[in-house]
Amino acid sequence: MDDTLMDRLRAAASRFGPLSLFLIPTLAIYLYFAIYPTLSVIGFSMTKWNGISPDKTWVGFDNYTKMFSDRIFWEAFQNTFVWSAVIVVINVGLGLVIAALLSRVWRARLILQTLIVLPVVISPMAVATIWRWMLQPKGVINETLSGIGLDALTRPWLGDPDVVLFALAFAHSWSTIGLSVIIFLAGLQSVDEDLYDAAKIDGATTLQAFRYVTVPALRPVTAVVFILTLTTAFKAFDLIWATTKGGPIRFSEILSTYMYKRGALENQYGYGSAIGVALLVIVSLATLIYLRLQTRPEDR
Amino acid sequence: MHFVTKGAVVASLAMTLAWPAQAQTEVVVWVGGEPGQATVYDTIAEQFNAENQDIKIEIVKTPSDLFNPALLPALSSGEGPDLFMFGTGPGQPAAIIDGGLVADLTPYFMANNWGATIPDGVINQTSSGGKLWAVGNEVETTAMFYNKKIFDENGLSVPETWADMSAAVKTLMDAGYDTPIGLAAADKWPVSHWQSMMFGRYAGPDGINEVMFGDGAWSDAPFVAASARLKQMGSDGWFGPNPVAVGYAELMDEFWAGNIPMTYTGPWIIPGGLEAIGDRASDYGVFQVPPFEDGQKIYPTESIGSGMYIRVNSEVKDAAVAFLNRLFFTDQGRATLLTGGTVPVGPLDAALSLADVPQLNQDIGASADQYRGNGTIPAFLDTITPGNLTTASYDGLQALLLNVMTPEEFTAELQTQWQIAKDEGTILAPGGLSAH
Repeated sequence: MDDTLMDRLRAAASRFGPLSLFLIPTLAIYLYFAIYPTLSVIGFSMTKWNGISPDKTWVGFDNYTKMFSDRIFWEAFQNTFVWSAVIVVINVGLGLVIAALLSRVWRARLILQTLIVLPVVISPMAVATIWRWMLQPKGVINETLSGIGLDALTRPWLGDPDVVLFALAFAHSWSTIGLSVIIFLAGLQSVDEDLYDAAKIDGATTLQAFRYVTVPALRPVTAVVFILTLTTAFKAFDLIWATTKGGPIRFSEILSTYMYKRGALENQYGYGSAIGVALLVIVSLATLIYLRLQTRPEDR
Repeated sequence: MHFVTKGAVVASLAMTLAWPAQAQTEVVVWVGGEPGQATVYDTIAEQFNAENQDIKIEIVKTPSDLFNPALLPALSSGEGPDLFMFGTGPGQPAAIIDGGLVADLTPYFMANNWGATIPDGVINQTSSGGKLWAVGNEVETTAMFYNKKIFDENGLSVPETWADMSAAVKTLMDAGYDTPIGLAAADKWPVSHWQSMMFGRYAGPDGINEVMFGDGAWSDAPFVAASARLKQMGSDGWFGPNPVAVGYAELMDEFWAGNIPMTYTGPWIIPGGLEAIGDRASDYGVFQVPPFEDGQKIYPTESIGSGMYIRVNSEVKDAAVAFLNRLFFTDQGRATLLTGGTVPVGPLDAALSLADVPQLNQDIGASADQYRGNGTIPAFLDTITPGNLTTASYDGLQALLLNVMTPEEFTAELQTQWQIAKDEGTILAPGGLSAH
C-alpha cells in the first residue's frame, strides 16, 4: 500500500515537478503579500504595541481575553452579523432574481445590465458621498417619499439607531449587487434549456421552474456569490466610515470600523490586530459552514 | 578639425553628465487637507521655493480622518514626511515623542529666537521634559456664526444673556426654522466643539487645567452640569429634530444657503463659506454664546490647531527649519497665513498691516478679544486628549443627544477612559521649557 502511494507520489513529482517551478514566483508573491502579513497580524495580536514604538510587549492571549469581555466588541460583532445577513439576502436572493429576470429579457437587456452593474465601478468613497447626501433628513430619499405621499416612511436615516444599519446595508448592496447579477447571469448561460422545456411539458409554472430548475442548477454559482458577498460585507469599511463613523453612538459599528478605531485611532495595534484575527476566523468559519451546507450528501 | 569638434562635443557632454547638478534639497511636508485642494501652505511653499532655489518644499495633503493612520506607520518605518502636523497637548504626542520619532527642536528654538514670538502658553503645550517638540501652527477659536439677515427679519439682536438666547431660539422656531442652531452630530467631532466650550464655561480655565494636569476628574460637578445643559438643549429641539443624522458638509451648505440661522463652529469654514455666499458676506456675523448660568463668565475658546514636528531621522532638518522660519516667523509668512484664514501664534500687529483678512475672521478675533481678559479655554478637547477619550466623547455626546445616556453616565465614562490613559502613561507632562 505504502509502495503504491510512494509510487504515485514519485510519478506525480516527475510529471508536475518541473512545471511546479513556474509556480514559484507567484507563490513567493502570495506568501510575501498575503501569508506573511496575515501571520504578522496574528503575531501583533499577541503583543501590546502602540504601532509606533519599536518595543512590542508579548502578552500572549491577553488581547483575546480582553476582547471576549469587551462589551463594544460584542456590539460590533452582532452588528456585523446583521449587516452581513442583510447584504447576503439582498445580493444573493435579489441578485439571483434580477439575473433570472434579465436572462429572459431580450430588448434593452444590455442597457439594464449596464445600469445594474454601473455602481460596482464607482469608488467606495464616491458611493459613500452619494448615499450620505441621499440619506440626510432633507435628502433625496425623504424628499421623494414625502413627494409621493409617504411621509410616514421618512426617517433620519443616519441618525436613527433602529434603521441606520439597514439603510447602510442597502447602500452597500446597491453598490455591489451588480457583480452578483453578472456572476448569476454567467451561470444561467450554462443551464440546459432542455430542463426548462421538460419542466414546461410537466406543467411547471415559471416560479416552479425557477425553484426546481434554476436554483438547483446554480448551486455552485450561488456558493461563489455567497462567499464573495460575505467577505465583501465583512471587510466593508469605507461606506460606514464616510457616513456615520459607526454611529449614531455605535449602532452602525461593525468589526472593521471597531478594529480601525482601536488600532489606528487609539494606537492599540495589538488589540486592533486581535479584532482583525477574530474577523478572519469568523469569515473563514462562515464560509466553511456554508460550503458544508451547500454540498449535497451524495457529493460528500 | 572635424575630429576636434566631435571630441569637444563628446568631452562637454561627458563633463555635463559627470558634473554634479546643483543639489536641491527636498523637504516633504504633510498637512491636513483634501488632495488637490489648495491651502495657504501651498502658497507659502511656492513663495519659499521661488526664494530658495536650493530647497524644494513639497506639500502633501491628507484628510484628517486618514492623517494619523497614514503618518504613524510612515514614521515608525523610518520614512515619512520631514515636517508634519500632529496633535499637541498632553494627550496626543506622547507616543511619537516616547517612541523617539520626532526631533528635539530646542536647539532651533534657541538659535532662531522663536521664544520672542511664541507665547509661553503655547510653548508649554508643545514641550515636555524641558524640550520643545513642535511649533504651534495656528491659533483657533470657535464661536456662534449667525445669519444677520434672518435675525433682522425676526427682530432679533445678538443675545447677551441665556434668557435672550432662549427667546431667540423660540422666535426662530416659531418663524418656521426647525433647526435654529445647526449641529452636524452625524460626523461626531462637531459636537465636541460644544463640549469643549461648555466644559470650559462651567469649569473655567482652572477647572480644565485641574483635570488635565492635576487631580480633577471629568466626572466633577461642572462637567455633569455642562453635559446636562447640552442634553437639555438637544431635547428642546435647539439643534433641530435630528442633529445626529446631519453631516457637517451638508449642514454648512444649508447654513450658507440661509436655511439655518446659527451654527457653532470655527474660522476654518470661512474661506469656503465666502466662496459660497459671494457678495452676501455681510449677511453673516459671529458672537460668543452668552453665559449658560447666572454669574458664569464668557471664556473664549482658544487652542493651537496642532503643531509642526520634524521627523527625527530627517536628513533635511535645517531646510525644514528654514521653511518653519519663513512660515511662522517672518511678517510675510504670517501675513499670508492671516490672509488665508490661519491665525499664527504670537503677536500679529506687524503681519496684520500686510494682510488682507476677511471681515468674518476679524469679527471672530474681535469677539474673542472682547473676553480674553477672563482667561481662555481649549477649543478642541478632542485634539489634546488621548484617542480612547475622544472615542468615548464622540459616542457619548451622540448618546446625550439621543437621550439614551445621562450626563452622569457620560462624564463617568469620560473619567474611566481618562484614568485608563493615565494608568497606561499615554498622557504627557507638558512644559519645562522657558523662552526666557
